[in-house]
Amino acid sequence: MAEQKSEKHNCLLPLSRIKTIMKSSPDVTHVAQESLFVITKATELFVQDLAKTIHKKSGSGKSVSYKDLSTLVDEEENMQFLQDIIPKKILAKDYLDKQNNTESDDDIVMLD
Amino acid sequence: MAERPEDLNLPNAIIARIVKESLPDGVAVSKDAKLAISKAASVFVLYATSCANNYAMKAKRKTLNAQDVISAMDDMEFSRLIQPMEECLQAYRKEQKGKKEAAESRKKAREAEGGEDNDDGEDEKEEEVNGEEDTANKDGSGD
Repeated sequence: MAEQKSEKHNCLLPLSRIKTIMKSSPDVTHVAQESLFVITKATELFVQDLAKTIHKKSGSGKSVSYKDLSTLVDEEENMQFLQDIIPKKILAKDYLDKQNNTESDDDIVMLD
Repeated sequence: MAERPEDLNLPNAIIARIVKESLPDGVAVSKDAKLAISKAASVFVLYATSCANNYAMKAKRKTLNAQDVISAMDDMEFSRLIQPMEECLQAYRKEQKGKKEAAESRKKAREAEGGEDNDDGEDEKEEEVNGEEDTANKDGSGD
């Protein structure tokens, strides 16, 4: 149990990598050591939270799939920021159909 | 700093471990789901940084501090992460304080001995880290 206690404030994710990601934002100039730690912790908690939420929502209980994840991202308000990187997978056929439909919709709009 | 796009990815093995540990035993997570979670974590870091930076800029500070990050969680609708984050921060501060005191007492002991030691490199590094933190604290005196 002592190990678990120390894990609480030791980060699993590499701080240096998190710092690189933070600094890749052009507006960020200086990052205090403490804020680096807090962001790293927040990210770990976010991953845990995400995993638990998908598992709860997936219903199947024994497995977690990409579809569960993309459905969650689509439904939850606070996951909106992930919509571009975790889109719903659709069949190429459906995509093409959709495109054709919107094109014909456009035509109708133009005719109006 | 980030020369290749891969530099912005987080290590998949560690993400996979965090995911596995937060789920009950025997739950399988598909490969593409793991990869997507890993990418999500990277984007989360950027998103949180950007929200936190807004707070720093509003207060006309150049250094991003811990309070900015905690405030950002509210904007991002992740308030439920705030309490565990604050607990970790308290533990971290305590730990850093302990380290600082240990370094100081080592330094004093060395001075008393006459200061012939090759361990200086490590000490300097520690001071640098603490220095950065001090400026951050001064910056964030409003919190």
